[in-house]
Amino acid sequence: MLQPKRTQYRKAHKGRIHGNTSSCAQLNFGAFGLKVLDPGRLTARQLEACRRAVTRHMKRSGRVWLRVFPDLPITKKPTEVRMGKGKGTVELWAARIKPGRIIVEVDGVSRQIAEEAFARGAAKLPFRTRVVARTGEGARA
Amino acid sequence: MTDVECLRVERRERLGRGGSRAARRGGRVPAVIYGDREPPVAVSVDLAELARAIGAGGFTNRLHDVELAGQRYRVLPREVQYHPVSDLPIHVDFFRLGAGARVTIRVPTVFINEGQSPGLKRGGVLNVVRHEIEVRCPADAIPERIVIDLAGVDIGGSIHISSVALPPNVTPTIARDFTVASIATPTAHREEMAAAAAAAAAAAAAQVEAPEGAEAPAAEAKKPEAAKKEG
Repeated sequence: MLQPKRTQYRKAHKGRIHGNTSSCAQLNFGAFGLKVLDPGRLTARQLEACRRAVTRHMKRSGRVWLRVFPDLPITKKPTEVRMGKGKGTVELWAARIKPGRIIVEVDGVSRQIAEEAFARGAAKLPFRTRVVARTGEGARA
Repeated sequence: MTDVECLRVERRERLGRGGSRAARRGGRVPAVIYGDREPPVAVSVDLAELARAIGAGGFTNRLHDVELAGQRYRVLPREVQYHPVSDLPIHVDFFRLGAGARVTIRVPTVFINEGQSPGLKRGGVLNVVRHEIEVRCPADAIPERIVIDLAGVDIGGSIHISSVALPPNVTPTIARDFTVASIATPTAHREEMAAAAAAAAAAAAAQVEAPEGAEAPAAEAKKPEAAKKEG
């Protein structure tokens, strides 16, 4: 699963997710993309599950680009532990996702295969999503 | 560049964020007309009409006439801003063109003869490095597309701009011989090759370790590790 090789600080604040994305809202690499419509956190496991579902449906043909990286350490206290005594240990890695963000792009497959693959990938995500495609010249059928 | 579409625009009196939002609430898209050494004009376009023009494809690569209060301007849409979630246009820049103007513009690439490429036939993946190529050309002769021929390109091969036939008076803005596309090895094929290489390396190592006459240990022991990772 994806996680940073090294970080400047071990733990991060919880943070809040406001507004829409200001970047990665348009296709940059592939002919089709999966656009997220809700705000939330995307964990490395969810992202990997999504990638596997998409790649497997495409029968490992074509090409897949992930456009998010889970670089936010999420901590958790052990069960049955009283509050206090400092912040918990890092349990997982996640990315903060704002609405409009394209998280996966694919190319080298037909529109039908891409849509089916994205439907399977989207089932692994905690958001509503939409498939986006290039229009006009350079678009794939 | 044969037909020129006409878009009817209206002058926008209220400027700024409030005015732009008011225009959008009214089903119009704020826009600006600038260039040709004349002062910029704030206008708005009907959303449905604009969406139709954008949906036809190649919107920013075609000349348009915009009609403003009975006066027509020859313009080139330079930029369309989209809403990040709904993907509806929220602003358009129209660049006014004078006579004999030359423009720098990004032209989409179109790939042909995919069936005649041995690399794609063998399961290779077309890796498009540049979906658009930035070129400099006369405003009256903007190419609709740049056609890239894939015939004869094998896995590992690439197409550079020097091998692409560009229309006359059209020159790429990047001076070097850059890559437009390549045919990459498919993931499954790459894994097979990695597994074969690992097996060969294991066999070679076993031969070095084993004394003469002794049987080489089976190389299969290392195979499952290589096959474990999925594409």
